[in-house]
Amino acid sequence: MCGIVGLHLKNPALQPELGRLFVPMIEAMTSRGPDSAGLALYDDTGMHVVKDVGLPRDICAAHDIASRSGYQAVGHTRMATESAITPEHAHPFTPAPGLALVHNGSFSNHASVRRNLAFDGITCTTDNDSEVAARFIGREIARGADLEDAMRMVLKEFDGFFTLLVTTATQFAVLRDSFACKPAVIAETTDYVAMASEYHALAELPGITDARIVEPEPERVYAWSR
Amino acid sequence: MTDPTQAGLRESATFDRATIAGIQRAAETGVYDIRGWGAKRAVPHFDDLLLLGASMSRYPLEGYRERCDTDVVLGDRHARNPLHLDIPVTIAGMSFGALSAQAKEALGRGATEVGTSTTTGDGGMTPEERGQSKNLVYQYLPSRYGMNPDDLRSADAIEIVLGQGAKPGGGGMLLGQKISDRVAGMRTLPAGIDQRSACRHPDWTGPDDLTIKILELREITDWQKPIYIKVGATRTYYDVKLAVAAGADVVVVDGMQGGTAATQEVFIEHVGIPTLAAIPQAVQALAELGLHRKVQLIVSGGIRTGADVAKAMALGADAVAIGTAALIALGDNHPRYADEYAKIGSAPGYYDDYQDGRDPAGITTQDPELSARLDPVEGGRRVANYLRVLTLEAQTLARACGKAHLRNLEPEDLVALTIEAAAMARVPLAGTSWIPGQGF
Repeated sequence: MCGIVGLHLKNPALQPELGRLFVPMIEAMTSRGPDSAGLALYDDTGMHVVKDVGLPRDICAAHDIASRSGYQAVGHTRMATESAITPEHAHPFTPAPGLALVHNGSFSNHASVRRNLAFDGITCTTDNDSEVAARFIGREIARGADLEDAMRMVLKEFDGFFTLLVTTATQFAVLRDSFACKPAVIAETTDYVAMASEYHALAELPGITDARIVEPEPERVYAWSR
Repeated sequence: MTDPTQAGLRESATFDRATIAGIQRAAETGVYDIRGWGAKRAVPHFDDLLLLGASMSRYPLEGYRERCDTDVVLGDRHARNPLHLDIPVTIAGMSFGALSAQAKEALGRGATEVGTSTTTGDGGMTPEERGQSKNLVYQYLPSRYGMNPDDLRSADAIEIVLGQGAKPGGGGMLLGQKISDRVAGMRTLPAGIDQRSACRHPDWTGPDDLTIKILELREITDWQKPIYIKVGATRTYYDVKLAVAAGADVVVVDGMQGGTAATQEVFIEHVGIPTLAAIPQAVQALAELGLHRKVQLIVSGGIRTGADVAKAMALGADAVAIGTAALIALGDNHPRYADEYAKIGSAPGYYDDYQDGRDPAGITTQDPELSARLDPVEGGRRVANYLRVLTLEAQTLARACGKAHLRNLEPEDLVALTIEAAAMARVPLAGTSWIPGQGF
């Protein structure tokens, strides 16, 4: 069990509001992941990552996230499954500059993929299954794949259940596994693209009642670029 | 007969009744015992492993709605036409000569019906087998019996046999009573005379020379056919590395429980290592080369159930091969032949005199009357049924572990019931994180 949220602003006028819009989104996912929380904010100076154990409300307050500006944010609330509850195990996983991944679900073959990555000299710093996916995507991008192709390769390489939200400095992409059991909803307006595990995380966004709302289909990469 | 133990009599564990009978037989005849089947002694096996099904931290898949794929591609490292099998359970090499033509045809029919491959053996390719097998692997053995370039080209893959699990370091054996005119003709040797195949290939020794031989085979087959190398499990780590270095597309590792049609009893029981111990060695070798699941690993020796299939794949096999189990599916050791087994001094469940040619089930014989008992169509149906059950069972277990494909089973899905199995399979003892040999 985890909650994931993301906000990708299309309208530059909203950028000063990024933190204020985003904090209620991640706080709404507290019940799905009370162990730890993390987020990545993108602004013109780069990607800024905050991860810690505890409740999203406290973590956001400690770092004054509500006052931050920027053009994109992803967040995660974690209910740990097989690995420890530490700041390092919290999402997002950020294996390369500008790359952030948040995951809801459980990969069932991550040990094998981890070994394959290790053969290429790519080592994970935690035993978390989501980190393996982040480093896999990082490797594929480093080899020249764009984010969408790298995520399609996840479909070939990984087994298990997942809803993934992956961002780079310019892209925002969502992918669900073939079973699509882990929830996801995407809302799009002319001003933004927002994604969350549950709709109520989106309910306070401006213009949400007029947004185009979709439940992402299985095995389809939804991607936006700026 | 009264039970001697009821009278307080005690049987020796060292000199048990089978051992005593063996000494008596040796003293009587002055020759060593030759028999079929594989090792009969108890060794650590897949039964000593358990799978960790999903519950909360992992999610299982629904059996009747959610897919769990089973296909496997074999030989795509170098071959232009790799095999794409629907299921990862293949039929191991067994010769025409060891088996009747009807049995060979039945195996081909069964394998083809479920989309897998079957394999020739020491003695060449029969038209019945080629005709009924969509995917036929052609064994290339030290004896070269029946070997010709036309059959190499008509095969779907070539398996260079260096050894088999029942007798690593030994050659094939076919006793005179099974060498009919047809068998003799295919091997260009006289009928009715014992045949002992060479224990190593006549024109190469070692991986350096084998590299050249493989290139020769690739030229003959225009680089189309996958080339397998089969080894009996002994120094598996080194053998697999060398098989890859020599250019194999697929490595076949046959554990000591793997069957034979005729081998010295002392060989069967005392040479080689258990399948369970061989797989991690093979996988380690492939992984160190960065070729695990790129050079495919086929494992044989004691595969009986879908649980064995799932556990072998979890340890890292890409596919398995069955031999003894396929013969049992055809009717070997069936209770309906109890009276006839008794006449030749055996019983259902014990029959292993495949060398003898008097198989009541008509499978391991060249006797026209006995072999006519096996209807290839009915036999094929039984083999296909059995292969389907193996696959469904393996899928059942893989789904329970949350896998949408059998190949995604991994060692982390396994635990061991005994310290021996934990050490050999390199998985933790159940309920602990302890893998013997890998520290505390």
